[in-house]
Amino acid sequence: MNNYETLYVLKPTLTDEETAENIAKIEAILVREGAEILATNNMGMRKLAYPVQKNERGLYTIVYFKANGSVIHELERNLKFNEEVIKYLTVRYTKQKELTQFAKLVAASTPKEEAPVATEEVVEAPTAEQTEA
Amino acid sequence: MAERRKFKKRYCKYCEMKVDYIDYKDLGLLKFSLSERFKIMPRRLTGNCKRHQEMVTVAIKRARQTALIPYIVDRKNVVENPFEFVR
Repeated sequence: MNNYETLYVLKPTLTDEETAENIAKIEAILVREGAEILATNNMGMRKLAYPVQKNERGLYTIVYFKANGSVIHELERNLKFNEEVIKYLTVRYTKQKELTQFAKLVAASTPKEEAPVATEEVVEAPTAEQTEA
Repeated sequence: MAERRKFKKRYCKYCEMKVDYIDYKDLGLLKFSLSERFKIMPRRLTGNCKRHQEMVTVAIKRARQTALIPYIVDRKNVVENPFEFVR
């Protein structure tokens, strides 16, 4: 099992439903092939540095996953045939320094669970004051 | 007198920042090694060390492939805000 990161760019003309559908489709391929999805990062709409298939903008999405090498072949084949995907790039992380960076990137793109804890503390504080008073 | 150096000789910025791996999506890091026309700056001008120069070269080439930074900027192919991508 290797650590991989795939970045793909979807067409800007799609509706929200269509983009969600396409992202789900790509993740379904990974799951079907036995890959373990670690995190996804939606970079949102960005201006492309140069026009790609006459598109000036694109919707960037990154998937971090663990998989065997054979999965990449199947994934890239599907990305190539998908007409909504205008760009894609897969990068493998192997060396120790790369792996630490990979872990950092995964941690950065996973949703944080600290937010609800903080709000609870805020709620508790005034109640304590009330009991004291 | 030989031709004067246009850029001051500097130390490697990546070593100073203690960067272990240069991510191609992190355009702020790539910025130091790009010229105004988005060419890769040579080591003699930026003062990068060899290790980091090799890393940044790969990163810049990946960023170009994914349309994060342009391949070339010239008079025919003008970008309105050249550093718009580098935020």
